[in-house]
Amino acid sequence: MHIVDGALANEVVIGSTVLAVGGIALGLRSLPAEKMPAAGVLSATFFVASLIHVPIGPSSVHLIMNGLAGLVLGWAAFPALFVGLLLQAVFFGFGGLTVLGVNTLNIALPAVAVYYLCRAGIRSPSTTVAAVWGAIGGALAIALTTVCVAISLALTGDEFVPAAKLVFFAHIPIMVIEALITGAAVYLAHRVKPELFGVVAG
Amino acid sequence: MKTVRLSLVALLLFPAAPALAHKVVAAVYASGDVIEGEIGFSNGDMAPNALVEVFDDDGNKLGETTTDADGFFTFQPAEPVVHIFRSNLGAGHVADIRMEIDELPEIAGAAAVDKLSSAPDARATDTEDETRPVAATVDLEALMAEQRRIIAEAVQKQIIPLRRDIDAYKEKNDLQSIIGGIGYIFGLFGLGFYVAARRKLQKG
Repeated sequence: MHIVDGALANEVVIGSTVLAVGGIALGLRSLPAEKMPAAGVLSATFFVASLIHVPIGPSSVHLIMNGLAGLVLGWAAFPALFVGLLLQAVFFGFGGLTVLGVNTLNIALPAVAVYYLCRAGIRSPSTTVAAVWGAIGGALAIALTTVCVAISLALTGDEFVPAAKLVFFAHIPIMVIEALITGAAVYLAHRVKPELFGVVAG
Repeated sequence: MKTVRLSLVALLLFPAAPALAHKVVAAVYASGDVIEGEIGFSNGDMAPNALVEVFDDDGNKLGETTTDADGFFTFQPAEPVVHIFRSNLGAGHVADIRMEIDELPEIAGAAAVDKLSSAPDARATDTEDETRPVAATVDLEALMAEQRRIIAEAVQKQIIPLRRDIDAYKEKNDLQSIIGGIGYIFGLFGLGFYVAARRKLQKG
């Protein structure tokens, strides 16, 4: 899922980077001291999650965990995921450095979208409902990320529909896994510390 | 709060150690008089039936070839220029690898033609008596060329697996890098925490 240097047209890279910078600025504004520890842990989670691979046909896809990051952090998911992506690019060579903005936008924007869409469901007093909404959020984040990646590729020249289908279908197992993990995480948080989504995501 | 977070991180850390990278990896090397190459992913999967385009330093297209079912391809270089091999594997994965002029194999056409054209010319004016030594010298040359070829093949057989090993080693993501990265993340956010807390204290 991480796009590499040279795969996209310059206009796409520059435009996406500008949008990503805007998102990071907004994220930093909604990142008070109380959210910092959660942001750090979710950034580390994202960083490590990309090392977990699910083999699909000839290649493999990896976990992303941007759904959970969005649900807990909201707009602050932008800086958290950006830090994770930067370190992945530097340490592992995942994705290029020039396309860091594109990758940040493709991964953090769905996180924020999921935050807005699933926030009300997560805050429900019933643990089961919250967990189900968490699962929906986890899967939805991956689906939206595949769409964003397909749009980036389409704007560069590849045909949109085949590229979108390929990336989307390859990530269906990831959607299932992430739905389960995010749902489980929300369930656990709901039982142990309900304020996590009330306070931190507020 | 702490247990939730710690357990989340622990859950994801455990399987991470033996996991492999997910990067496009390509290698090219001279083999006899062709360039051989492989394109794949660093977790070991290869890229079959991928179109590989060859360019020189100025962007002129020198030719193209396709990888076989094992992600392996060959290309016959015709000119002693830098060769850049590029392949788009889809979904943002692009292989891009460069071969310098001094790494190129013998450009068979140019070198062989030179050798053949110079040899008969020198001997064209000789008498019949000397045609037999000419035949003998040409045979000897052919023999030596054959020997050279056999030696080159044997050496390549040894070197190619070594180069593959080196490429694989370069792609290795060990536990050190992972832990280092996580350390950086916690450090950065810790710093952010300090800055934000100070700002809050100053305000309040």
